[in-house]
Amino acid sequence: MVSLSVHSGVMNFGFLQTDSAPAIERSVGIIGAGPSGLAAAGLLASQGYEVHVYDKLPKPGGLMVFGIPSHRIPVDRINRGVRDLERRLGVTFRTNTKICCSAPMHEEEGDHFAADILSLSDLTDNHDAVVVCSGSWKSRRLTIEGSSLDGVYSSLQFLFPIRAIKYAHSNVSMPDVSGKKVVVIGAGHSAVDVVDSARTLGAESISLVYRRTAAEAPCGKFEIDRIQEMGVSWLEKRSPEVIQGVNRVEKLIVRNSLTDELEEMEADVVVSAIGEIPTPPFQKELGLENVRKGDVRWLNMTAMDNVFVAGDVLTGPSKIGKAVYSGLRAVRSLTNWLDLKAQSRENEYNFEADKISR
Amino acid sequence: MEEQKTLFVDYSKCIGCETCEAVCRFLYDTPRIAMSRTIDGEIVPLYCQHCEKAACQKVCKRGAISRDGDGAVLHNAMKCRGCETKDCLIACPYAAFFATCKGVAVAKCDLCKKRRAEGMQPACVEMCPCDAIKYVDRNSVERLKTEASEEAFKRVMAHIRPKKFVD
Ligand SMILES: Cc1cc2nc3c(=O)[nH]c(=O)nc-3n(C[C@H](O)[C@H](O)[C@H](O)COP(=O)(O)OP(=O)(O)OC[C@H]3O[C@@H](n4cnc5c(N)ncnc54)[C@H](O)[C@@H]3O)c2cc1C
Ligand code: SF4
Ligand code: SF4
Repeated sequence: MVSLSVHSGVMNFGFLQTDSAPAIERSVGIIGAGPSGLAAAGLLASQGYEVHVYDKLPKPGGLMVFGIPSHRIPVDRINRGVRDLERRLGVTFRTNTKICCSAPMHEEEGDHFAADILSLSDLTDNHDAVVVCSGSWKSRRLTIEGSSLDGVYSSLQFLFPIRAIKYAHSNVSMPDVSGKKVVVIGAGHSAVDVVDSARTLGAESISLVYRRTAAEAPCGKFEIDRIQEMGVSWLEKRSPEVIQGVNRVEKLIVRNSLTDELEEMEADVVVSAIGEIPTPPFQKELGLENVRKGDVRWLNMTAMDNVFVAGDVLTGPSKIGKAVYSGLRAVRSLTNWLDLKAQSRENEYNFEADKISR
Repeated sequence: MEEQKTLFVDYSKCIGCETCEAVCRFLYDTPRIAMSRTIDGEIVPLYCQHCEKAACQKVCKRGAISRDGDGAVLHNAMKCRGCETKDCLIACPYAAFFATCKGVAVAKCDLCKKRRAEGMQPACVEMCPCDAIKYVDRNSVERLKTEASEEAFKRVMAHIRPKKFVD
């Protein structure tokens, strides 16, 4: 008889196994506790692997916890899933720990939470294999004139503090939008999330500026209709040209591509939600370009033999489901590799078969 | 009568993240819960409702579709002839029968038969980040419905049955 209540309210990352499997003498380190890292941890742990998950942030969950607003994802369900990984499957989490990269610190959102810094070689020395699941956290910035004025944010710069403020870090401050005129650029899901959050924080007025039409908006027309009903002004076929202001943003000038005329919008806050770019530690050393092209001997394996990669860090910004799938596949590939390597039979790996079953 | 299990997706809670489809694909190669983008750009999973009166079962001339003890509507690949007409696929009002390129060329949700045998719930239910999919007795589906879920469901139905569904 299947019991109904066991996992209600838990995002069950260890969904492939009810009990923990007998321990095997293998240990894997995972960099990043977003959906790809957590799914990878669940699959490995339910096969008896010893799993350590490192994350620079104070709490596991990645963008599910620090990016996507809480009205869309019940954070408790993620938290319970993480606890289940710890208690039932024996996964160890090391939060506030950044795995050192070639880039300087304080480059991406959330870096200042990292109290501990380890290098990739610390991990490869201590584990049989490593999976890099570090996501895509560097926001694409506007490059137009005035983009560095105060009051101009990227979507993650805007959204991250709203979720992270709970962890009371002196470097995190909420975007101040109460009673202000907010202009959001873009029409993807993160643009909509910025709009919803700005509204919750009490913005006086909100406008959404997009260079194409509602029918082409990645977030879909349904969402555009919904936010318009909330009183948001939707301005399509307009591209940002210049941000003006003394010290702080005061105006955004956009070009209307129907009339080819410039239009002036008053703005206290401008948020550009035009996408994120991947930020892998050791981009070059890992040869991620080749992994992306599929130019590898082993599915999801990087240029370093026992280092695998999965999720948005590999694909660029995607979706939770894609990240989960990527994490699961990387682990399947990783465990096959360790199994064959243990018997010195690596050359028997059937890459084509692994690649085809998607 | 024993409990009759089914899935219920609350489309008002769903954020279209594809996790249900992803874990299904990982387990079965051809996912049996599949994402679809409506004309209005909402991204939603289409899934089998294990109907009390299953249209797919009725139209299959080979008796390849049956119901198990938990109420799951199962497709038996051994009995399936993979007919060219794909009556089952066309009959399903929820677009929950899937064409594959392999074997008998159709596949459908079996409520994770093997997982149930080991006391586990369907994988999509376990992994949905939003708790939007429930594995429940068919009789309790009514109780799970809310105004918001019904409205969202209507939008999905208007997408998969543009003509038939007028309400
Ligand atoms: C505003 C917004 C809204 C979104 N809405 C949706 C949605 O509705 N539906 C959907 O499906 N997807 C949505 N997404 C996308 C989704 O969140 C991502 O695709 C998904 O989280 C990617 O998972 P991941 O595991 O690859 O990476 P992430 O979730 O980004 O996790 C990566 C983790 O790695 C950690 N990390 C990074 N570098 C290091 C390092 N050097 N050392 C230690 N730790 C490190 C980070 O702290 C983070 O916890 C949204 C994204 C954003 C930004
Ligand atoms: S496949 Fe379609 S018709 Fe058959 S039980 Fe599922 S939802 Fe009903
Ligand atoms: S996993 Fe849940 S939230 Fe994501 S698409 Fe499926 S039903 Fe929707």
